Amino acid sequence: MNFLLAVFSQTWRSIAETWRTQLLSLITITLSVLIFTFFYLVYSNALQVGSRLDNDLRLIVYLDEQPDANLQQEYQHKIEKFDQVERIEFVGKLEAYDRFKGQLDDSQDVLKDIPKDFLPPSIEIYPRRNLESLSRIKGFSEYLETMPGVLKVQYGREWVERFYSFIQLLRVVVFLSGSLLILTTTFMIGHSIRLTVFSRKKELELLRLVGASNSYIRVPFFLEGALLGALGSTAGIAALYLLFRWIKTNFAGQAAQGMFSFSFFSTSSVCMIIVLSILLCAGGSFVSIRKILSV
Amino acid sequence: MSGEEKKLTMIDLARVSKTFPPDVHALADVSLRIRRGEMIFLTGQSGAGKTTLLRMLCGIDCPDKGYIEIAGYDLSRISGGEMQKLRRRIGVAYQDFKLLPDKTVAQNIAYSMEVSYRSRPFIRSQTEKLLTELHLLDKQDALAGKLSRGEQQRVSIARAVANEPELILADEPTGNLDAETALLVTQLFRSYNEQGTTLLIATHDQAIYDFPGSKVIKIENGRLAIQKPPTLVKKAEGKE
Repeated sequence: MNFLLAVFSQTWRSIAETWRTQLLSLITITLSVLIFTFFYLVYSNALQVGSRLDNDLRLIVYLDEQPDANLQQEYQHKIEKFDQVERIEFVGKLEAYDRFKGQLDDSQDVLKDIPKDFLPPSIEIYPRRNLESLSRIKGFSEYLETMPGVLKVQYGREWVERFYSFIQLLRVVVFLSGSLLILTTTFMIGHSIRLTVFSRKKELELLRLVGASNSYIRVPFFLEGALLGALGSTAGIAALYLLFRWIKTNFAGQAAQGMFSFSFFSTSSVCMIIVLSILLCAGGSFVSIRKILSV
Repeated sequence: MSGEEKKLTMIDLARVSKTFPPDVHALADVSLRIRRGEMIFLTGQSGAGKTTLLRMLCGIDCPDKGYIEIAGYDLSRISGGEMQKLRRRIGVAYQDFKLLPDKTVAQNIAYSMEVSYRSRPFIRSQTEKLLTELHLLDKQDALAGKLSRGEQQRVSIARAVANEPELILADEPTGNLDAETALLVTQLFRSYNEQGTTLLIATHDQAIYDFPGSKVIKIENGRLAIQKPPTLVKKAEGKE
């Protein structure tokens, strides 16, 4: 019997004997994963909303003078120095007038006696459509205001700030639920390992007496932890998927569907969550077993 | 000790002493050399130090003073990994059996082979062979905790010899057995000894060490008292 076969057989035997204790740990891990992944799913969907922000999200920098080519280059350089942007457009006085005129449709007469250069020139800056850019937009606007020749900077400040606060709140919740997951998982695994070691105390003593190696004794506990992590996280994600389907079917109406497309985790994200849970549980059991069974 | 001599030596004890608190001298200045392939009977009254000596030989207890070498390993300097490997080469039948009551007889015996990564067919056939020899085959699926003391003792012996160790240490292996079953156990030990296994058997049972060629060592108050062929020991005991 080779090493792997021996430890798998030991693991199976141990699970068969202590499954009641393990079940409690499994339920705890499942719930922790469910809570964490629920908030993480809300967060990742909110991020997607952020990334789908349309072209209305832009900063308009009004200038007192029409910039010549050199000054335009200088402005562009200064803007790009602060943050990477998707694009920068310079709107001259006449172009601004034409756009404004176009927007007035049938009421263009009101502009009849007004000079064509009455609107200030501006720079339209389209930040990158991701949350990082969004989070820096306030600072970006403040920076732009300090540039020479700038009269005013305009953007959808209120909306952006609200959205950003919401995302920040979600980040905190995801962080807390992630911490909860780590704490409960490691605590439950440690607790479960202690109970298992206690219930198999005589057997472990005998194993030492007949010359079992440290790996022979420890690896089954490690595998038990990994298995709990795999089963707990799979069950947690499966429960989340069912919840997601139920919410999508019953609560996400046509209007919401039109505005946002709620999506579940990608296969790679699911795999990553499961792998991380396995590593967390296996690591927790490894640390516990090293403490308890110093052979 | 020369290199050749060292190779031939299985157990080497030099001035080994062990005192238990408050002031019980379990062993005092015990020096002993047992060659590979020997079968030694360790006799003495209860509390003479036999079990303490066996416990030190299998690394459960450490001596306060002195030197113990088993199969070339100095037990005071042996690493954890080496100790584990050495224990796989030693089969021990404990006085308190150390069986797991909620495991079957076959499972209890299998432990000593599983830790050496023996194949499943080997474990199965070896278990069946030993249980047949010890008249326990019908009990192989019974829980060890449900057996009589005599049956438990035989299971403990089967586990000690199952992995075909180089050294077998047995502490009162016939203490709970009737004469007929004790003979079975003695025959089993002899058969292992004939294959080259070294045996050290602590016993009160004079009947089992009564055969030519084996050595008997008597311990009294933690000291080696007599170390002679069995016939001489018996004569000496007869005179006392």
